[in-house]
Amino acid sequence: MAKFRKKPLALLGSSVLVLSVLAGCGSNDNNEGSAGASAAGASPSASSAADASAKPKDKVEISFWTTYTDADAGPITAIVDNFNKSQDHITVKMLGNQDPTKQLTAISGGAAPDVLLTYWNNIGPWADAGAVRDLTDDISKSGFDVSSIIPAAMDRMMINDKYYAMPFTMSMASSLMYNKADFAAAGLTKPPETLEELSDYAKKLTKKDSSGNITQIGFIPDYPWIDNVFWPVIFGGSWIDSNGKLTPNAEPNVKAIAYQRSFYEEFGQSQIDKFKSGMGKRGTAQDPLLTGQMAMMVGWEYNFMPERAADGPIGVAPFPYPADHPELKGSGMVSPRAVFIPAKAKHPEEAWAFMQYLMTTDTQVQYSLDAHVIPTIKDALSDDRLYVDSNKTMADFYESAKSENLNGFPNSSYINEYLQSLSEETEKALKGTESPQEAMDKVAEKIQPLADGK
Amino acid sequence: MAKILNDNAIGIRRRNRKVLIVGLLFTSPWIIGFFIFQLYPILASFYYSLTEYNLFSPPKWVGLGNYRKLFHDDKFYLSMYNTLYITIVGVVPHMAYALAMALLLNAKVKGQSLYRTIYFLPTLVPAVASSLLWMWLLNSQYGLINMGLHYIGIAGPNWLVDPDWTKPSLILMGFWGTGTITVMYLAALQDVPKMYYEAAEIDGASKWRQFWVITFPSISPMTLFQLIMMLIASFQYFTEGLVFAEATQSTGGPENSLLFYSIYLYQQAFSFLNMGYASAMAWMLFVVVMICALVIFRTSARWVYYGGDK
Repeated sequence: MAKFRKKPLALLGSSVLVLSVLAGCGSNDNNEGSAGASAAGASPSASSAADASAKPKDKVEISFWTTYTDADAGPITAIVDNFNKSQDHITVKMLGNQDPTKQLTAISGGAAPDVLLTYWNNIGPWADAGAVRDLTDDISKSGFDVSSIIPAAMDRMMINDKYYAMPFTMSMASSLMYNKADFAAAGLTKPPETLEELSDYAKKLTKKDSSGNITQIGFIPDYPWIDNVFWPVIFGGSWIDSNGKLTPNAEPNVKAIAYQRSFYEEFGQSQIDKFKSGMGKRGTAQDPLLTGQMAMMVGWEYNFMPERAADGPIGVAPFPYPADHPELKGSGMVSPRAVFIPAKAKHPEEAWAFMQYLMTTDTQVQYSLDAHVIPTIKDALSDDRLYVDSNKTMADFYESAKSENLNGFPNSSYINEYLQSLSEETEKALKGTESPQEAMDKVAEKIQPLADGK
Repeated sequence: MAKILNDNAIGIRRRNRKVLIVGLLFTSPWIIGFFIFQLYPILASFYYSLTEYNLFSPPKWVGLGNYRKLFHDDKFYLSMYNTLYITIVGVVPHMAYALAMALLLNAKVKGQSLYRTIYFLPTLVPAVASSLLWMWLLNSQYGLINMGLHYIGIAGPNWLVDPDWTKPSLILMGFWGTGTITVMYLAALQDVPKMYYEAAEIDGASKWRQFWVITFPSISPMTLFQLIMMLIASFQYFTEGLVFAEATQSTGGPENSLLFYSIYLYQQAFSFLNMGYASAMAWMLFVVVMICALVIFRTSARWVYYGGDK
C-alpha cells in the first residue's frame, strides 16, 4: 500500500517535469543582472582568447541555426560557403534541423546562436518577450535600405513598429491550381476569373454517384487546412486598424468566411468530410489534384513544381477575385521565413553582416535558383538570371510577387493566440454552428484584451 | 561493565554513521539528480504558477491570478473534459480487455508463448508510428475498419474528422497497446495459488464463479496498481492526440475535440509563451490527479485484498 501511495506522487512529479525545463531555463533570467554583468566582464578576456587562438586573421565564428532538414539544406549550405569564402573576417557555422521549440530553448538559455532562421510568426512573441535583437540601430547605422524588400514580406518582421528580423525568403498563396484533364472533361477551356466563376466551376467539376456520394469535387475552400489569413486577403480584409482595434469581424473578413461556407452548403458537410478523408496524401503520386479527385485548389509556389510545366497535367492561374472588387485582382498571402539575431547573441555585429549578405540581390537570386523559392528583394524579382529554362515553373510566381495586393497577417506578441482563435471560430462557421459574423465577433471579443494588454 | 556498554554503543553509532555516509554516497547520483532535476523544478513551477512569465523577462508576481483565470477559460474546461472523457471511457475497458486477454494467454494451450509474443508486439511500436498506422485503419473511405463494418452492413463513421468520433478512435486504438497491462496481469494470475481452484472445483463452483470469487480478489492489488498507473498516464495523454490532430492540420483536432489537457498546456507554454499560466495548469492537473488517486485509495479497502491481511 505504502509503496503505491508514493507512486502517483513520483509520476506526477514527472508530469510537472515538463515545467522543470522551463524552470531551468528561467533561472538564467532570474540572475540576469549578475549573469549579464559577469558575461560583460568576461567578454573582453573571452574575445582576447579567441583572438589568441585565431591570431593571424582575427576571425570570428558565428553560429547559424536553420529549420531545414538535411535533405533541404543544399541551397543554404551553398550560400553559407559563399559567404565564408567572400571575406576573411567571419566564419559562419550552420546547424540544420532546429525546430522552433529547440530554438526557443536555445535563445532563452545561456548559449544562444548568433543568427537563426525561423517561421515568421515566432518573431512576434519572441521579440515581445525581449529575446530578439531590435534591428533599428543596425539598419540605420549600416544604411540598409528596407524599401528594397517586398513590403508584404518586410511588414511581417515588424512588431510594435520596430523591425526585428529580415525575410530571407517567402512563400506565397496567390494562385489557383487546377487539373487540366478535369477541366477538359467538363468542357472548361480557361480558368475562372472571379470568385463567382470559381463557385460555378466547382459545381460543374463536382460529380456524385447514384447514392449521392461525391466521387469528384471541384473545390474545397479549406483544403488542405483552414486558412484564416489567405481568404480574408483575397477579400481585402484586415486584422487590426490604426487605432489598435482588432478587425477580424470587418465586412470583408466575414464575407470571406461566408464564401467558404457556401461550398459546404452546396455540396453537403458530411459528404465533403467523407470525401476529404479518403483523398490521397498531399504531395504524393496520390495527391487529389494530380489524380483529378479534386479539380482546383489554392496553390503555393512550392506545389506541383514539375507537374505545372506548360505540358504538365496541372494548370496555374492567378487566384480569382471578387467580381465587385476588381481592384483586388492579384491578391495573395505572403508567409516569409525570417532570420533574426537573438538578444543574447555574442556576435551581433557579425551576425548582422551575415544577414545583410543574405539580403543582397546576388544571394537572393542564387538561392531562388537553387531552392526554387521566391526572393524577397524587389530587384531580384526582375533579375534576368532567374528567368532561365531550369527555373521556368517559377516565372509566373516571380511576376505575381510584384503585385501590390500581397498581404499577410500582422505580427505581434499575441499572434499565435489570434491565429488560433481565428482557426477555431472559422471552423465553427464553416460547419454552420455559428454564423460567420458571430464567429468573428467572438474572436474580436476574445483577443482584443490581449492586444490592449501588450 | 557500564563503561564497556557505553563504548559499544559509541562503536555502533560510529559504524552506523559510516554506513549511512557510504549509503548516501552510493545513492548520491540519484539524490543529486532528484534535487536538481525534479524537486527544484517542481517547486520552481509552483512559484512560476503565481507569476506572469514568458521565459525571457523576469517573472511578474500575480498571486493567484493565473488560477483565477483558469476558471474563466473555456478551453481549460474543454481540455479537461476531453481528458476526463479519454480517462473515464478508456481506462476501465482497456483494463477489462487486458485482463480478458491475460486469462486467455494464461490458458494451457499449445504454442502459448508464441501467442503471448504476438500479442505483446504492438506495445513495442512507438506511439507516433502506431498512431500513423491507425490513421490508415480508421480512414473513413478506404480504411480496413470501415471496410469491415461495411461488410456487416454498418456505415462506419468518419473517425478522424467527426468531432464525436475522434476520441472513441483513440480509445479504440488504445486496445492495441494493452500488452504491458496484460503481461503484468499474467504475472499476477500465475501467482494465484492452485489449491483455491482445486477446492472450488471440488465444491462444484463454475468457472465464472471461480473467477469472481478467487481470481479477481487475488489479483486485486494488481488491478489497483494498474488503475492508478493508467489514470496518471491517461491524464497526461499527449502524443497520440497530437498526431491525430495533425491529420486535420490543427493543434486541437476537429472542433478542438482532441485538445487534451497536456496539449493545451504545451500550447500555452511554447506557442503562447504563457509559462506562468502553463505552470498553474500543471499544478491544477496535479491536484485533480491527486484527488482521483485518493478517492481510489479510500475505496480500495473495500475491493483490494492482500494475501497477508486476510
